[in-house]
Amino acid sequence: MTPQELLLSEFTLVSVSDIAASSGLSPREIEELVELGVFEPRAHEAAHALFSARCIELARAARRLQLDFELPLAGVALALTYRERIRELEERLHRIECELPGRARGR
Amino acid sequence: MKYKDYYQILGVARGATEDEIKKAYRRLAHKYHPDVSKEPNAEERFKEIGEAYEVLKDKEKRAAYDRLGQHRPGEDFRPPPDWAEQFARGFGRGGFGAGAYTEEVDLSDLFGDLFGTARGAGRGAKFAMPGQDYEAVVQLPLEDAARGTEVSLDLNVPEYDAEGMPRRTPKTIKVRIPKGVTDGQKLRVPGKGGPGMNGGPPGALYLDIKLRPHPLFQPSGHDLYLEVPVTPTEAALGTAIEVPTLEGRVRLKIPAGARSGQKLRLAGKGLPTPDGAHGDLYAVVQVVTPSTLTPKERELYEQLGRLSTFNPREHFDRR
Repeated sequence: MTPQELLLSEFTLVSVSDIAASSGLSPREIEELVELGVFEPRAHEAAHALFSARCIELARAARRLQLDFELPLAGVALALTYRERIRELEERLHRIECELPGRARGR
Repeated sequence: MKYKDYYQILGVARGATEDEIKKAYRRLAHKYHPDVSKEPNAEERFKEIGEAYEVLKDKEKRAAYDRLGQHRPGEDFRPPPDWAEQFARGFGRGGFGAGAYTEEVDLSDLFGDLFGTARGAGRGAKFAMPGQDYEAVVQLPLEDAARGTEVSLDLNVPEYDAEGMPRRTPKTIKVRIPKGVTDGQKLRVPGKGGPGMNGGPPGALYLDIKLRPHPLFQPSGHDLYLEVPVTPTEAALGTAIEVPTLEGRVRLKIPAGARSGQKLRLAGKGLPTPDGAHGDLYAVVQVVTPSTLTPKERELYEQLGRLSTFNPREHFDRR
């Protein structure tokens, strides 16, 4: 991977300005989403909060929801919270399905 | 240029009110929004719904669209001669010659150019603007995800030709995929999006990574699952067998009394993680009974049945 490419995973940390530049959300809107519990800082560097790079994906989804449905930020936060919960449940369901014997024969 | 029937896409009459258009858009957006929809082709459908709404919700754009006349969807057509000059909002150049509207020109690009885009303005803007971000899906075999690979993507991207007309141009983009990517992860590749304007930086390419189904392994995050069929005898007595991993075959001990669904962990035999570790491989035991028996096998099973004291339904009697 060249240094520029970025896997939007939990392992890499990014700044608010990176999230803002990648998503089109303003730093103030990102702060609001932090206050609403959508983004959680993972670390601090020189008094600046750092977030997992997955927040870029979430922020881009937030921007799309905001524009496409003309949603206020609180509505976006609620939609994102449900979206994340669905994603977590889908991951758990997938893991349980992987553990079921006989699935290979059903494919 | 190919005609798109924006009214038909939103499922409204040509005389629909603003409110009817908004309601139709919201209904369809809820159904096809790529962030929530599980419909097949949701992304593609949502794109055309959004494009139709972008034009029909705006009085000026809708008037410009209506002036194009009504054609069959997909029909090649040319706008009236003075169309661009009449509607250009000062962003786009307008004044395209009739010959400029070739098949490669996309109606949405033309509207974006004439009226300015969602990012603020069209090419007439005087301030630096970053280029458009591109998004694409890349399907990878599991082995490539584990090792890392380079992919070539063929995209159809909006660009301006020598006459200043926006048109779709095929472009091949090479991207290096790091090792250990998992299904559903996104990769941002800066500078591989559209060109910036007035000195703005180019956009980024966002890749949505999908892993192709593997005949043996089922990935879950960085862990892999492998179903391991064993005979009733192997399950009862225990055995050591060879099982495949992504790095070749390894010995796996099946403990005596193994049961279907039992997970046996092969530590570190999953996908690599970005921090240099590895996920695990889980061998999921499946006890498989033979569907046909030789006379000798039948005799031995019958003998075992008579001798065995094992009763898997013992708990029924305790109730």
